[in-house]
Amino acid sequence: MLRVRGLSQRYPNGKLALTDFSLTVEAGELVVVLGGNGSGKTTLLRCVTRTVKPTAGEIWLGETNLCALEGESLRRARLELAMIWQHASLVGRSTVLANVASGALGRHSTLRTVLAGMPTSELESARGHLTEVGLADLAEQRAGTLSGGQAQRVAIARALAQRPRVILADEPVASLDPEAAEEIMRLLQRLAASERIAVLCVLHQVELAYTYADRVIGIRAGRLAFDLPRSDVSRETVHRLYLPEAA
Amino acid sequence: MSLVAHPGLNASLATGGWGRAFTIATRFVFVLVGIAIAVQTLIVVEARPQDLITGVHGMADLIRRAMPPDFSKLPAAVWPTLQTVDIALFGTFVGIIIAVPLALLAAANMTPSRYAYYAARAIIGFTRAVPDLVWALLFVTAVGLGPFPGGLALGVHSVGMLGRLFAETIEQMDMAPIHALQLTGARRIQVFSHGIIPSILPALLGISLYRLDENIRSSLVLGFVGAGGIGFELLTAMNLFQYQEVSLLLIIIFVIVLGAERLSATLRERLA
Repeated sequence: MLRVRGLSQRYPNGKLALTDFSLTVEAGELVVVLGGNGSGKTTLLRCVTRTVKPTAGEIWLGETNLCALEGESLRRARLELAMIWQHASLVGRSTVLANVASGALGRHSTLRTVLAGMPTSELESARGHLTEVGLADLAEQRAGTLSGGQAQRVAIARALAQRPRVILADEPVASLDPEAAEEIMRLLQRLAASERIAVLCVLHQVELAYTYADRVIGIRAGRLAFDLPRSDVSRETVHRLYLPEAA
Repeated sequence: MSLVAHPGLNASLATGGWGRAFTIATRFVFVLVGIAIAVQTLIVVEARPQDLITGVHGMADLIRRAMPPDFSKLPAAVWPTLQTVDIALFGTFVGIIIAVPLALLAAANMTPSRYAYYAARAIIGFTRAVPDLVWALLFVTAVGLGPFPGGLALGVHSVGMLGRLFAETIEQMDMAPIHALQLTGARRIQVFSHGIIPSILPALLGISLYRLDENIRSSLVLGFVGAGGIGFELLTAMNLFQYQEVSLLLIIIFVIVLGAERLSATLRERLA
């Protein structure tokens, strides 16, 4: 579903953040990316969302090469690509339901969403997505009043409202307590399987990767270090990822 | 005696010797300066407390002649009252309309260029620095006496406060949800209507309501100097020695000011 081919990213200051990086995430698969600070994990996600334009390489979302798109066609392509961050990034003053429904904004014309409104059908499906993440009873509450774990689940519901084929998650559990973190990972795992979504998740918690990933990708100094099924990932392999460069 | 670990005002008192003497002398000077400032105000304002005491019956006489308020003049006061309130409303609307685009330019996270930023900040600062009375005089020379120049003056002067507070609100906005919406594939206008507007509109309305409350009080004063409305009626009644009408007008002013303040405060609480 998501195929990255020969991706390289050189920042204007000359630093090579990614070198000839390739990966594939199939529909229904949860792939975890591990790597130390500055290894290029975040750059990888920023390239895939096309927040930055990669220096070289291709990013295929289904049959579309994101690297070839700009402007309106890029906006349309992004509809199928949902993103989750460390912080939920909700509009705190809007209701939970409005936040979830806002994920579907891009599918509707400006006219139908005028004055901060949403088509009724979207509000109904937004309720459905809230039920999926187990927060149906909080629909009318203001998003700013939620706990970290609840807010992150709402962010996932907003991602679902996009009806994405791919979900990218950048350290989605970094600011959550261990229990909430497990809950979010279980949710991502379940959604990948039941909705046939390709999930690419950057993590710092190695243990979570052992538990929830279908496949684990190691990234080190902007290069692919390993790409293995969970069962083949040894602690030694992962440990080497975090060793200093010289070792 | 140890000199360590006594930060703050009393540190030197604890040290003894010259340090202590110096501190006490400094405080003594501060007290003397305070007294001197207070005393010179008595001289400059030509304060004569004895006159206030001997002349108090004059005030009592005035208040007696103002009683009871002449409620038969109430219908005639309706139009000026509406005028006073509407000058303030007009001024607030004009202020908001000018302040919003200026605030977008004067917010560091939105401004298209540094020049626009400094220009907008300068305009906002200037409109605030020039008092509304001066703005009123300026507009009177253009459009003549009446409520219109009063409303314009309030509008322009309001830009100073509204623009600055609007810009600060925009600068303090959490940008994470905005970026999140952009990446969902939402259109620019949709990001604005569903991300930016809900984030800042309540704060902008609250600031505007607060400004309306202030403008209603300014509108009364502007009435005094020719903008019409209840302030002008008050001046006329006083010049004609119609003290019972004066007391009625004062009651109306009291109700308007207090009402505006309460209404503004209640609405702002709702918005918070």
